This record gives sequence, C-alpha cells and structure tokens, in this order.
Amino acid sequence: MNFKLTEEQELIRDNMREFARTYVDPVAVEIDENSRYPEEVIKKLAEGGWMGMPFPAEYGGAGVDYLTYAIAVEELSRSCAATGFTMSVHTGLACGPIALYGNDDQKKKYLTPMAKGEHLGAFALTEPGAGTDVGAATSTAVLDGDEYVLNGVKTFTSNGPVANTYVTFAWTDKNDKRNGMSAFIVPRETPGLSVGEHFMKMGIRASQTSEIIFKDCRIPKENLLGKVGDGMKIAMNCFDHGRIGIAAQAVGIAQAALDESISYSKQRIQFGKPISKNQAIQWMIADMYTDITAGRFLYYYAASLKDQGLPFSKEAAMAKVFCAEMCSKHASKAVQIHGGYGYCKGQKVERLMRDAKITEIYEGTSEAQRMVIAGNVLR
Amino acid sequence: MPNIVCCFKWVVDEAYIKPSSSGKIDLEWAEYKLSDYDRNAIEEAVRLQEIYGGGVTAVTVASSDATKGIKDALSRGPEKAYFINDDQFENLEPSQTSAILAQVIADQIDYDVIICGEGSSDMYSQQVGPRLAEKLGIPCIAFVNQLSIEDKQIIAERKTDEGMEVISAPMPVLVTVLPDINNPRVPGLKDTLAASKKPVINIELEDLASEYKRLLIDKGLKAASIERNCTHFGAGPEDIKAFVEAIRKTGVIDRG
Repeated sequence: MNFKLTEEQELIRDNMREFARTYVDPVAVEIDENSRYPEEVIKKLAEGGWMGMPFPAEYGGAGVDYLTYAIAVEELSRSCAATGFTMSVHTGLACGPIALYGNDDQKKKYLTPMAKGEHLGAFALTEPGAGTDVGAATSTAVLDGDEYVLNGVKTFTSNGPVANTYVTFAWTDKNDKRNGMSAFIVPRETPGLSVGEHFMKMGIRASQTSEIIFKDCRIPKENLLGKVGDGMKIAMNCFDHGRIGIAAQAVGIAQAALDESISYSKQRIQFGKPISKNQAIQWMIADMYTDITAGRFLYYYAASLKDQGLPFSKEAAMAKVFCAEMCSKHASKAVQIHGGYGYCKGQKVERLMRDAKITEIYEGTSEAQRMVIAGNVLR
Repeated sequence: MPNIVCCFKWVVDEAYIKPSSSGKIDLEWAEYKLSDYDRNAIEEAVRLQEIYGGGVTAVTVASSDATKGIKDALSRGPEKAYFINDDQFENLEPSQTSAILAQVIADQIDYDVIICGEGSSDMYSQQVGPRLAEKLGIPCIAFVNQLSIEDKQIIAERKTDEGMEVISAPMPVLVTVLPDINNPRVPGLKDTLAASKKPVINIELEDLASEYKRLLIDKGLKAASIERNCTHFGAGPEDIKAFVEAIRKTGVIDRG
C-alpha cells in the first residue's frame, strides 16, 4: 500500500490550487455577498479543461480518473466552496449519469458540450415533498406519440437558474414504486420548462439554486436516459459518486479553516504571546489536522475503489458523512479561534462556517448516509 | 523562426522550509517546485513562440528524481525537454551548472535565443545565465522585463538602477528575465496530461565529457530565529528613552 499520489495527480492538484488563487480568491468574497454566479470563473475552468475531468476525450472530457477529479474539487473548494460545488454538481450529477447511462447519440449531443464546459448541467430530482424520500416524488412523464410529456415541480435544483441541460426524473408508471421512475435529459430551451423561485441560502451563496417547473414540457422520446424504469437506479448511482465530490468539497472547506486558523493563531497576541502557544488552541489545530487527513484518505479510498471498478457505495457514504461532519465542526472551531473577528464579515472563516453546513445536507443528509452504511454493514 | 531554449531549476518550495523546535530544518518532506523566475523564462519563451513561431526546448540540470519538474515545465508549453540528471547534481556550483548546460546546448540543441530566470528561488546567485552566455560565446542581456524580435535582432528592455534601457543584440543571444516580464499562465488540465507524452531527452553524467565533483557541501541547515519578548512602548520622549535602554540591554546596540 502506497499513500502517494502520482506526479501527474500532484501537478494537477497544484495547478488547480494556482488556478483557484489566481481566479477564484479575488472574487470569492464578492460572489458570496451578492449570491452571484461567477460566470467568468466557470468560463476559465472550461478553458482549462476542468469541467469534464473524468469523461473520455472523445466526448470532450480529459479522461482522468475520479480520484484526480475529486482532488481538484477539494482544491477549488478550499478557495470557494460554491464554485467547487458548481463544478461538482455539473460533473458528478449532470454529466455523470449521461456518461454512465447515455447512448452514443446522447453523449455526442449533450455530454460533449457539457464536458467541454460550454454547457452547464443541473440535476433536478428533489421535489417539495420528496427529499431523502425520493419515491415520494409526484412528477410524471407520459408517452404521447414520439414525445414524453413532463409535468411536475422540482426544487432545490443546484445550478438550476444557470444550467443549459437538466437531468431530471419522473414517474413513467406511478403504480410501480420500484421500477416506475425514469430519467430524462431536458435542454433548457424546451417549451414548458421554466425556472421558478431562486433560493437565497445561508452558505455556498454563489451556487445558484432554484425551482425547476415542468408544465406540459414535451421532450423527444430519445431523451429518455437509460431504459424506462431505470430512474431510481440512476439517481442512487449518481448520488454514490456525487458524494465523493461532496466529501472532497468538505475537506477543501475544512482545509481552508485550518489554513486560516494556523495563520491567525500565530499572529494573534493575547496575554503577551501568540494564542497558538496555548494548549487549548493547539489541541483544536491538532484535531483539525487529524480529521482532515482522515477525511481526505476516506474520500481517496472511495474514489480509488470506483476507479478500480469495485463497489464503493458504502465507502462514498462513509467519506461523505465523516467529511461533512468534521468540516462543520472544524469550521465552527476556526471561528472560535478567531473570536469576535471570526464572527464578522471580512474573515474567511465566517463564510467557511456558513458554507460547511450544507455538506451535511445535500446529496444525501448525514442521516441518509448512515442508512446506506448501516444497510451495508448489517446485511 | 527562432529556436528558443529556456532553462529551469527544480528547487525546494520555500513554503516547506520550516524550522523544528530545535532550530533545525528538515527537508525530508519538502515539496519541490519550478524556481519562480524560471516560470517567467518558460512563459516568455512560449509567448515569443506564439508570436514569431519556431520551437521551445526546456533544459534543466537536476538530480535524477526531479522527473515531476520535467512534467511541470513541459505542461507550461515547451515541446520537448533535456533532462540532464545525476544524483550528484544537487547543490552544484553555478560555474558547474553553466558548464553542463553549455556543453549540452552547444552539442545538441539549435538555438537562437536562450532565456533564463534572473536568479533561482533557492540560491539566487544570478550567475548561471551570464556564465552560460560566456561559455557559449554569445551576448548576454540581464534584468530584462520586455522582449521582442525584429529582423534577426532581439530587442530587450532592461530595468537598471538608472532607469529603463532598451538595447538590441544579434542572435544567438541569452537573456535573463525579471518576474514582471509576464504573468505565467496556469497550466490547464490537458496541458498537464499532454506533458507526460512530450519527448524528454535523458542525459546522464556518463554522457557528459567532464566530471562534475560536488564542490558545495551541506554542513547543516539552521533556521534564523526571531525571539519576541512582546514589550510595549509608547511614543513619548520617556518611552523612547525606555526603548533605547531596553534594546541596549539586549546587546544589539552599544553606547560605545
């Protein structure tokens, strides 16, 4: 067993770090304050080939492994969790299912511009009454000649207001709870698709979130993703690999909290010495570093299992719940280390603490991850 | 169309130079990076190529484990690299580094312009560039912060203590560049992936005519330490007296 990344992986990590310092750090505060979608940064990411990392070159991607992609998400999130998440949702939840379940035509038509970063993707699954309980969804897709007619309201759709391509889910057979849901690709310009309420969030404010409404939205039959009835399977599989991205994002946020805490605690003088000389602060920093390292290796492990074609659902859930919870805990500790200054706008830790919380909620709550893990362990 | 050579050094990333509590510096876990100004040298070579055509070759003299440095340099645009390496090639004297570079460049590489960083991030001796030019018998222009090519001449703007100086020189020529000459681009993902597939010419000690014995030997590394005693002073005349008295006690100044 060797815990070392390849030279290429290290360079890619370092380049993403440099990218984030150059293009993301200067806007991170402003896009958070204004809840602004950083279109110019996403364009730069696309130019650098970062928006379709794990997909084959023939479909516009870079063809790197999932581990390398997740490492890039961590580094980007270290500068701005919202930008990291925009890339992660696009890659893991929107491009991912088309790459895995799409046919060649769908990959050419939809995945290719997405993987090149020309089109942004969104994943519209959650509904007002169907969060963790995906099966409680009410959206329907009715075949009418050569078209499916979609009706329903999706909510909390990340990238919703700015996406060009949506992967969405609806019942093709409402009576079959197990195999009655199907997945579809819906281009933004389709009549009957509209963007509803934009949500103002506590954190990751630069990531755009909205309702997506389908009202007699007609899409060609060939936009069915996978087979009729594959919806639930596709959704669950997407979450499995999307979770690795969220774990990486959480590690990025936690690493940023540690970076800030180290530099502040060495500078802040109280009682005649830097507060980093106090054991109370040292223990917080030691715990942060330990948990970050543990979390990082958990998501590396899940990603490397996926890259080897081995089952990774349980490991992705473990990485996600562990990284999310340690991220929240340590972002809060980082504010504690910064004291009153940390509670004020202008200190990065204030943003980190708000950004951290969502990692425990989206792409499966911490409780849902424990259901997955327990389900596997108690089998 | 000019053949452009850029030289680079793979150095310890200063972010990893941290003293232990005993004052020692342990570089065992240190990461390496491209020397800062050499990034500017590579970027300038690639920028000139984009304008005037030609080719860009990267050259380094390094220890044998600097393979990541080769990939890093190639990801920034050069189409091939000469990796002159040996385990002894760490802590070479600038005279040795320049002699090795001169030998390989003279024997194996067609060049019109050679670009070096003004100095390396680790030693900053500023000698390798000028010495290399001397050994190759070509003109050298140092402290350059703007470059262009006109009619087989290189036009360089130099930043000197007296002000800016614009000069020209016939090619082949060597220039050493300052950091404000350009903003090195961040390699994209595909640049890094492509770098692994570019040709690397491996040159080892036995391929070189001369021997290069290590002249500089590390006797040990020690960190400079700053002891803060956090004494506070005001700005009144009495405070200034107290301040002078306090630093006199430390022995930093003496009444003489």
